[in-house]
Amino acid sequence: MLKKFTLENYKNFKDKITIDFENIAGYQFNTDCITDGTISKMLIYGKNATGKTNLGRALIDIYTTIFDGLRYVDTGVFLNADSKDNTATFSYEFKFASDVLLYKYTKFSSQELKNEELYINGKTIFNYDFEHNNFIEINLRYIDAETANTSTYLQSADIEDGGDLQGVKLPFLRWLISNVALSNDSVLIKLVNYIRKMLMITTKNAALKYPRKMNENFYEFLEGPKRLTMLERFLNEMGIECKLKLRSLPDGQKELYFVHEKLVPFYDTASSGTLALVDLYKRLIPRIWKPSFIYLDEFDAFYHYEMAENVMNFFKKNYSNCQIIMTSHNTNLMTNQIMRPDCLFILSKARGLTSFNNATDRELREGHNLEKMYISGEFDKYE
Amino acid sequence: MSNYQSTARKKRQNLIIVEGNHEKNQLAELIFKCFPELNIKKEDVWIYETNIYLLYKDIEDAYGENWAKDNIDIDLPFVISKKKNPDNLQYKNNFNNIILVFDYERHDPYFREEKILEMQEYFTDAADNGKLYINYPMVESYLDLYQLPDNDFSNREISVSLRPGKKYKTLIKEKSIVASKINFLYKLDRLLERCFHVRDVEKRKKCCDKILQLSSKNDVEIFVEIVLQEAGAQNIAGEKNTLINWVNSQEYINTNQTYWNYVRNILKQIIWHNISKANKIQFGQYQIPANQYKEYFERLDLTKILEKQNLASRDAVTGFIWVLNTCLFFIAEYNFKLIED
Repeated sequence: MLKKFTLENYKNFKDKITIDFENIAGYQFNTDCITDGTISKMLIYGKNATGKTNLGRALIDIYTTIFDGLRYVDTGVFLNADSKDNTATFSYEFKFASDVLLYKYTKFSSQELKNEELYINGKTIFNYDFEHNNFIEINLRYIDAETANTSTYLQSADIEDGGDLQGVKLPFLRWLISNVALSNDSVLIKLVNYIRKMLMITTKNAALKYPRKMNENFYEFLEGPKRLTMLERFLNEMGIECKLKLRSLPDGQKELYFVHEKLVPFYDTASSGTLALVDLYKRLIPRIWKPSFIYLDEFDAFYHYEMAENVMNFFKKNYSNCQIIMTSHNTNLMTNQIMRPDCLFILSKARGLTSFNNATDRELREGHNLEKMYISGEFDKYE
Repeated sequence: MSNYQSTARKKRQNLIIVEGNHEKNQLAELIFKCFPELNIKKEDVWIYETNIYLLYKDIEDAYGENWAKDNIDIDLPFVISKKKNPDNLQYKNNFNNIILVFDYERHDPYFREEKILEMQEYFTDAADNGKLYINYPMVESYLDLYQLPDNDFSNREISVSLRPGKKYKTLIKEKSIVASKINFLYKLDRLLERCFHVRDVEKRKKCCDKILQLSSKNDVEIFVEIVLQEAGAQNIAGEKNTLINWVNSQEYINTNQTYWNYVRNILKQIIWHNISKANKIQFGQYQIPANQYKEYFERLDLTKILEKQNLASRDAVTGFIWVLNTCLFFIAEYNFKLIED
């Protein structure tokens, strides 16, 4: 699991900002927000333009670094616009069983690294300097990879990585995992498996009507046995009563319909909330693997408050081991009935990220009405 | 010039509802001063003076007589502002703390066990609808310690036939060890007015504040004159030494603490005594193991305590009231660390 994430000089985050997933208080309620002593369900609030979306982009940057740049295309300004530093720093600390990994890199831009480091249980595995194209330190024995022929990597200064990445050198970790045979119980494999299953879901555009062909894979999935019934049940349980039908059109394409006296095309008529919910379903359920980490940005932007609660409980129940960070403006979820003060956070321009229990001197208890306290300014100093 | 924003909502306010009594306001001010962690700024405090039964009636008028039974969401800042200041309505969403502090006045002609119980059961959260602290027999009970520690506090009670009021206050003034320690602040203020002719209240306050911030004899010698000059005091040359000697004879200076820190420690001890006492009233046990105050404190239930007090005091001749101050519990509830060593 991800224990700690630190970021500096990226987009609107000029100063260092840290998420410490292990910084929990001893609350005895809603223990399903915590998994193995680590926050696994986190809800972030914050005024507009404090960087809730950027924080998600930053967290998911490790995926782009290790796999490809296509799933999460980063447009816009990469470095903080008020800083003179020419790199942004990303630091991820993981824990798998008893092993602690620290993966840290600095980047000039979303594709160009300056430095890359990996530490396992405090030992340096490698520290690579991309400007001078050399290892400052390397010790692959600790991960049983001492036979790796790193000279191949060193020579690959202008390695091709397809598409836009031409001329940009691969991260060493990416090279390592694809060029060295690691045993299945290797901690590096665990790391890579975690990163591979990291997701960021933005609800912002979910209500837009996609061209029909973008749904082809989803329609194919829905054709499987009972799958349409499952989707119907999901919508019903979240609070949308409806009946669905999938139909083949004369041109061979498929289309989804609401069943009424007449069939009504789903994507032409569904409400924003319904579209957002189906979009969420589409991004989660058809996958054969369960995500390790999900950043759900403004996850309930289009939801009625009860639906937001239902979705939250759906995640708690079905994704108990997955680390989920949700951002929201819905203060109704600021409650000890669903969350707990050490899993509720405020993101602010001046004070970074602060959990509710650290945003007031008052000892927060289960009976406290957190929403009312938030609205009356209890946590103002950190907002 | 833009005209985009309407008047901003003023948050972080605090409402203290007390019986018409100047001394209670002083206590509140003292608490906020000694415990800055409470984050209550004096200028953000509204004090509303009423009587618990009048307040009960105001709530009834606003929400109907079943407000307690139906657990209706009561907005006290609204109820009060609607009555007192309808042009400037206030809502609880702008208040960090709503604190109700009342005396247990059994002899009040309006006293009704059911009503006071309803209030106690309902108002349980200062950060939400409000919290009611009933003091037995009255707020001054925080002074009712004859030494520190005072193990006899365990059995301290007041006969109902005494009809506590002025008599109780007089009794405390004679015996309290706490009163004289805390009262230095008010005596100092009077001295500045009488001997040094500092007539301006604010100037006097500032001057007091500075002297109370001193924590060593050395500093007193050096700074008292400067502070007096700043306040525009008269008779400095003649009376200065009297003041210095007097301040230097105070326990707070002799223990190298500021006055606020010194009083903070006294208030902590008062709270410990009252936690023990509350525990005795509710569970029959006064002694609490030193490291378990927090656990014991969290088990306390002000409604249960009120029921026990009601029972003990019902008989007009033989009845009695356990001496207990609950309003200082606000500090321990806010964060128990504030009263730990």
